[in-house]
Amino acid sequence: MTVTTRSPDGNTRRGTLYDVLELILDRGLVIDAFVRVSLVGIELLTIDARIVVASVDTYLRFAEACNRLDLTSNTKAETLPELVSDMTESGAEGKSKGALTGAAEALGDGMQKAREKVGARSSSEEEEGSEERPARTRSTSRTRSKSKGDEG
Amino acid sequence: MSTYVYGITRNGHPLRVTDRKGVGPDPAPLRVVSGSRLAAVVSDAPDDLRPKRRDLEAHEAVLEALIADGAVLPMRFGALASDDASVERELDERADWYGERLDGLDGRREVNVKAFHHEQAVLSELLRTDPSLRESNEALRGGIGDHHTRIDFGERVLNALEGIRTRDAGQLLAVLSPYAADVFQGPPVDGGFLNVSFLVDADKADDLRAAAQELGRRAADVLELRVSEPLPPYSFVTPAEA
Repeated sequence: MTVTTRSPDGNTRRGTLYDVLELILDRGLVIDAFVRVSLVGIELLTIDARIVVASVDTYLRFAEACNRLDLTSNTKAETLPELVSDMTESGAEGKSKGALTGAAEALGDGMQKAREKVGARSSSEEEEGSEERPARTRSTSRTRSKSKGDEG
Repeated sequence: MSTYVYGITRNGHPLRVTDRKGVGPDPAPLRVVSGSRLAAVVSDAPDDLRPKRRDLEAHEAVLEALIADGAVLPMRFGALASDDASVERELDERADWYGERLDGLDGRREVNVKAFHHEQAVLSELLRTDPSLRESNEALRGGIGDHHTRIDFGERVLNALEGIRTRDAGQLLAVLSPYAADVFQGPPVDGGFLNVSFLVDADKADDLRAAAQELGRRAADVLELRVSEPLPPYSFVTPAEA
């Protein structure tokens, strides 16, 4: 598998509407006195919000992916905590204990919400916009093939 | 014809957007509806407005132009008021509440960070660090085990992967959160393991960006980071309980 790494370069806004779609569609201010345009047809834009859904197909896919791994070629591999451990300490500068704790708690909530959302998402993949869908990155298309497997 | 609402500002905002185009296939010019203390940027909404890419981009572009000049409460895409008068009424009736929200956003921007593991890298980590998974993997590769064994193995891998996702999300948050005035965590998208928005003071934006760059560089073998900024504060205008 080839992977690309697109590190932030401070100029990542252009052409990346896709990365902020769910902010525009799912966050932002909602005023009860106003109505909202129908979002029929927009489901396909958020369909990928589903995280990996546990299913037999997914289990088999991951089993297969592990079987294919060549572990011998990967001798100097490190984990994220190893790669960034000193950043965690220096970045915080000792003043952020509260923020870190809060972040950890928020994380738990986020994961829970993600799961709930997964269950709630519709998967109607049709309607206008499909031809207008922005170009997607390699990692995204990898994810999509995974999603298809999940749909079975 | 109804009124499409983009965002709410204070009356003192320069509102330099009236030469821009709004949503719709044949976009109407932008207008300003002013209340006693607040203003809303609006345009006529076509009757058949649909959320097409062009419209999402227009909505975003208007708000990006506005945040460059002052605090804005960005509307979620698709807000329609019955007419300008009802917008003005809303601005005046809840002026205090909107004013307080705007006060909390002065000089701040949203920065969204999404993180995606390279699958091969994290699966390798799992097999390196978990002897039991490694043994099962070797057995399956050696042709030992039936269909159910494979399924069972895959499920164990997926469960272990969830642990790595949680751990790494915590790592990234620990590095980046100290630069933010507020943090909002959304559901991961696109198979990623982290989708977090930071509310960032203007004088911290460079530091946060540098930290994200450094993270992306160091962890390039393990993950991909996608950073979007500066954004209207979509994630910081809804009540906490929403």
